[in-house]
Amino acid sequence: MGILTLSKKGVAVVLSAQLLFATQAVTMAQAEMLGTEAAIGKYTALANRDALLDEMQREDIRAEIVALGVDPLEAEARLAALSDAEIGTILTQMERDNAGADVIGTLFTIFVILLVTDLLCFTRFFNFTRCVR
Amino acid sequence: MPTRAQIAGVPLIQQEDFFCGPTSIAMVMQWAGADVSQQDVAALAFSPGAGGTYLADMIGSSRRLGQLAVEVSTFDQLLAEVAAGHPVIVFQNLGLGIAPLWHYGVVTGYDFARDEVYLNSGQLEQMVMPFAVFERTWRRGDFWGLVVLPPDQLPVSVAQTDILSAAAALERVEQFQAAATLYETGAEEWPDNWLWQFGLGNARYALGDLQGARQALRRARAVDPTIPEVRANLAFVEAELAG
Repeated sequence: MGILTLSKKGVAVVLSAQLLFATQAVTMAQAEMLGTEAAIGKYTALANRDALLDEMQREDIRAEIVALGVDPLEAEARLAALSDAEIGTILTQMERDNAGADVIGTLFTIFVILLVTDLLCFTRFFNFTRCVR
Repeated sequence: MPTRAQIAGVPLIQQEDFFCGPTSIAMVMQWAGADVSQQDVAALAFSPGAGGTYLADMIGSSRRLGQLAVEVSTFDQLLAEVAAGHPVIVFQNLGLGIAPLWHYGVVTGYDFARDEVYLNSGQLEQMVMPFAVFERTWRRGDFWGLVVLPPDQLPVSVAQTDILSAAAALERVEQFQAAATLYETGAEEWPDNWLWQFGLGNARYALGDLQGARQALRRARAVDPTIPEVRANLAFVEAELAG
């Protein structure tokens, strides 16, 4: 058991060292600068998704969600299933309906709850909604 | 929101036939101090076969002329920009339902008390419209508006991401100096977002300014040391400087 663990660790060390070399090799062999546009797309999408997920996990919002009879984990799973473009659309709509103000505060809380109920087809607030009635 | 606003110095240019789009961009760029005629813009924007200028070409030609171009789509955004001193190009339908007359104009001011919206509209006199009439004509253009600014000024009513994308679009049309200026402007406004310094590094690299690129990428790394793209480009620039 002890030996097994040790050897596993050894393998892990070798593997991670190889991975490090591989990463460095990729960096060294990089043929051109990585573009701004791709980075903007990638990191904006990540930030948007994280922001919505963070909000969903806030305690007051979670309590609201549960009070509505919605399973928070299912709501998160549905959010995770949305594409980057759909999340972008939702945030744009939140910003527009918020009359130009920053998407922070009470109104945002309401939007997030609407998003959750939309995801589970209780409401139809956002344009992405796929529920057919 | 101020109850009235008036932007000074937007020239009134008489448009040539069908050149309302190019003329609108020329008016806004001349207001910002550029030496650009409606013909210059038309060469980049006008579609002779269509007898007009497509929305996408309004955006594209502005960028090819080194301008920051971002769309707006609400009354709040329009008024906020005008109140901030930024003229806004709007797409209107001035005709009747059965005989549409598509038109681009430039909103240069408004006055709630007098119920007036002021436009430079391709004629030598200013056009004045009551709010309800303007709203109707703009609604039929799906509330399409375009803010065109020199890259050292920022719109006030659009999301940071949209401005970042507009800067990246300047790189795409190889307006690297304009892109660099816009990235610098954005970096001052939003110092905690590394993407501005990253873009600045890339634009400076494209301009052949390796030292400047390294400086910007180092700043990007200082804002967020975890981003692989930043480290990769910094290593790339450093290797080139060393080699």
